[in-house]
Amino acid sequence: MTNQIKAILIDLSGTLHIEDDPTPNSLEALARLQARSEIQIKFVTNTTKESKGFLLNRLTQIGFKVQESEIYSSLSAARKLIDEKQLRPFFLIDKRALEDFEGVPTHDPNAVVVGLAPDEFHYENMNKAMRLLHNGAQLIAIHKARYYKRRDGLALGPGPIVTALEYASDLKAEIVGKPSADFFLSSITDISCQPSQCIMIGDDAKDDIEGAQSVGMKGILVQTGKYRENDEKRINPQPFKVVQNFSQAVDVILEMLH
Amino acid sequence: MFALLNRNIKAVILDITGVLKDSGPHGGTPIKGSIEALNRLHSSGLHVRFCTNETTVTRHTLVIHLRSLGFTIDEEKVFPPIPAMCTILKDRNLRPHLLVHPDALPDFKDIDQSNTNCVVIGDATHQFTYENINRAFQCLMNFEKPILFSLGKGKYYQEEGELILDVGPFMKALEYATGVTAEIVGKPSLAFFNTVLNDIGISAHEAVMVGDDIVNDVGGAQACGLAGVLVRTGKYRKPDENHPDVKPDAIFDNLEKFVDCLLQDKK
Repeated sequence: MTNQIKAILIDLSGTLHIEDDPTPNSLEALARLQARSEIQIKFVTNTTKESKGFLLNRLTQIGFKVQESEIYSSLSAARKLIDEKQLRPFFLIDKRALEDFEGVPTHDPNAVVVGLAPDEFHYENMNKAMRLLHNGAQLIAIHKARYYKRRDGLALGPGPIVTALEYASDLKAEIVGKPSADFFLSSITDISCQPSQCIMIGDDAKDDIEGAQSVGMKGILVQTGKYRENDEKRINPQPFKVVQNFSQAVDVILEMLH
Repeated sequence: MFALLNRNIKAVILDITGVLKDSGPHGGTPIKGSIEALNRLHSSGLHVRFCTNETTVTRHTLVIHLRSLGFTIDEEKVFPPIPAMCTILKDRNLRPHLLVHPDALPDFKDIDQSNTNCVVIGDATHQFTYENINRAFQCLMNFEKPILFSLGKGKYYQEEGELILDVGPFMKALEYATGVTAEIVGKPSLAFFNTVLNDIGISAHEAVMVGDDIVNDVGGAQACGLAGVLVRTGKYRKPDENHPDVKPDAIFDNLEKFVDCLLQDKK
């Protein structure tokens, strides 16, 4: 039992750090985990505008020691799907994220890829997307969040835009980010392990914990970031463990490995 | 008796865009044969009304455009969503945040828009920017009891040979973001069809609705008890003939063919 754990999946924002600050003792806790050579680590995050390079840079600046190959984001998942299906997307995503799609052909589009891109969500682009979908293009959503917090209050996330295009085209979008089962499974394809040998640590009961546990991973919910009291009771089955923060999650894991 | 529909038809209710005309600049272009077909309906003794989800112009401008295209049409026989919306706003003491086409704003001139307590969304075309939709979203999230009205829920329409998004997808975006279900004013709402029937003073089974929108025209009319006829003009697409939920009472190539059949039958 003890030696079964082979991979730890770690959410970023709200779990490992909040804005530019580490969560309590997370710098030292990550180092403790990284010292265990039998463990592989993946940083998994839903983002629609931050490229791998950007995420790596931020983590490094906070003080974490991370390799780019250890980061698997919803954009990575989209890239993987695009490559596998040889798609030529019309991108409705933030310009900063295009870095993760270098070399992808975009002529004569046969897919519409939607992230969060306020500058791109205007009437002409929405019409263009709808016409492509009517002509047989596939609809791919980086994720389907309803809204997010912005300086002037709440603002629409990619979910409503995806929903608009789904309704206009009678299609269902393929969602590549958390909590989709494919996201968790494809995040570990370069590690030789089974989902049951993975632990996911995150602050979002639905997207992190329920999603990971739905493919057979164990989920540790941390009470930082977006965590609200009783979040663990809103999912079924309940998390494998609920702890105060990332550092305590590492304590639990090291105890299991002992 | 109109044998095809097996009903004693006394009134014909016509959709405008996609049945009489295609949309486009300067009021659009008439669909072939429709001006003459409408004239024949007028002289047949049947009641004729126009039931449209057009919200990009005022009712007055819409009628002026139609007349300049050659159609014979009285303004009081045209039923667009905005006048019906204004009645509801006044009756329920609601003050709207509007996300509508600027050219339609004059039809809201008698409506108090201060201290808003509901959102009204119409076919705002180029006003559908992220920031404008976001403002409507923020209003709904800030209301104690959020109310969202949508002037129709059409998915798209045809303009100059291309499909254009209608209000429906943007309504769905707001519904998904807020968890609020929109109240539809316009087709396919029952209340909207009933307003037209009451104006004529007949019951639903004596009327037929002719439209190019399988769901909102045909399905909406049928749900209200009218016969629903689909025409193969405007936004019509072939798969509409095998729609999973709506089966038209009859399908014609265009309004002219429908009127031929209806009036022939009447003789």
